[in-house]
Amino acid sequence: MKKTLLVTLQACLLAGIASSAFAADKLVFGIALEPYPPFSFKSGKGDWSGFEPEMITAVCARMKADCTLNEMSWDGLIPALKSQQVDVVLNSLSITPERQQVIDFTQPYFFTRALWIGDRSMELDPTPAGLKGKIIGVQGSTTHSAFVKKYYGETSTIRYYNDQDDILADLRSGRVDIMLADQLVVEPLLEKPDNSMLASKGVAPLDPLFGDGVGAGVRKGNDALRERLNVALQSLRDDGSYEKIRERYFKTDITTLK
Amino acid sequence: MTVSEISRLFFADGWLQALAQGTVRTLGISLGAFVLGLAIGLIVAMVKLKGPRWMVICANCYTTLYRAVPELLLILLLYYAGADLINLTMAALGQPSVEINGFMAAVVVLGIVQGAYSGEIIRGAIESIPHGQIEAARAYGINRSLLVRRVILPTMLPFAIAGLSNLWLVLVKESALISVVGYSELLTAGRQAAASTKHYLLFYLAVAAFYYLITLVSSSVFRQVEVRFERWMPRHT
Repeated sequence: MKKTLLVTLQACLLAGIASSAFAADKLVFGIALEPYPPFSFKSGKGDWSGFEPEMITAVCARMKADCTLNEMSWDGLIPALKSQQVDVVLNSLSITPERQQVIDFTQPYFFTRALWIGDRSMELDPTPAGLKGKIIGVQGSTTHSAFVKKYYGETSTIRYYNDQDDILADLRSGRVDIMLADQLVVEPLLEKPDNSMLASKGVAPLDPLFGDGVGAGVRKGNDALRERLNVALQSLRDDGSYEKIRERYFKTDITTLK
Repeated sequence: MTVSEISRLFFADGWLQALAQGTVRTLGISLGAFVLGLAIGLIVAMVKLKGPRWMVICANCYTTLYRAVPELLLILLLYYAGADLINLTMAALGQPSVEINGFMAAVVVLGIVQGAYSGEIIRGAIESIPHGQIEAARAYGINRSLLVRRVILPTMLPFAIAGLSNLWLVLVKESALISVVGYSELLTAGRQAAASTKHYLLFYLAVAAFYYLITLVSSSVFRQVEVRFERWMPRHT
């Protein structure tokens, strides 16, 4: 144990020296500390995997930048970007006009729709009239919460959660009737045995509130970094590296809206 | 759930290591906040007992305010609004921006709140020192700082230690509040483990066991300290 500690310490020190000596430039990426497979999830050993951590690694390799991850809660990502605790948020952040007022976005690197999930045995019509008096669960500070608040806020009860896993738990135990979430994330989760009582209740209609794709967010006015990210993302697209990463996590093409 | 499955989750998947790292961070936050709180508390107690009138009023405002506002609100205030404010000030002064990470936010907020509580405990303890002892010290012509160091602090400690050890235990649990900003202390590590593996009961119980372990160890440490500080106190049997 002591030996492992020592070795780790040495490795850390060496890595520290190496990175400070050869640091091309340092970029800090913000990431939400919650299991959000297949986009981002952390193992018990502490390393991140998923589509987005791989994209971050690939983008950083293209930009020849020295990148680190800074973990925080999902609703703290944009405040952290504004207060310079992180430089980039590449973490399923939809490009919406509301967010564009406070931060800038790169070109979108994937598109997704929102999906309603509810109890398999319950007849649910996911329209404002159909969900009258029902309890809707959404993650706070998301496009889904903005959409639900606008169209369902008057007639249904909305519960806001800090992370998606809590909504699923409450949906299973019947504390909420239906949830709205990212299709690419929840559809694979429906196949898991613990979610066998849940089923899709249909895709939500397209709406400006869902934004125009998902991009990487940077501080307002940081055009140099935004351009570098755009160039890197485009080159990953052009030489097929993007597709290689995508195939590991998604069966279908995610670069256009279905 | 079988033993082999549990051992796989804890050892092969590395979640035990994640919880242990969380425990270290929780202890770090608690220790930092406790020390900061003691320092603030000592100053506040001294001011309340001997300070000029306007400083007493300030100290009273501080203890009332920070005992009234929820720690959770203070953490959110410092972490989100405070970071902006500090960086705006730094920018105005032409200084580079500073990063308020979860650890610092937790230590500062919990330390300030602890200061308000421990200030009252220390003030009470100083007031319970028999006045004759201080008078006797003065009669020898002892100067003020020596009086504090050699007489007031050592004789006050036996009265304060029980209250302070209570504060420490409460503090360890309050450090879990920082999980709200996604800093991976013990509770966040446990939530992360539970949510990733879907073994909620197992991991939440494991987290509880870790907190219990911290309490158990710190109680025995405090008992030793208490015995040491109270060695001159008269025993009531």
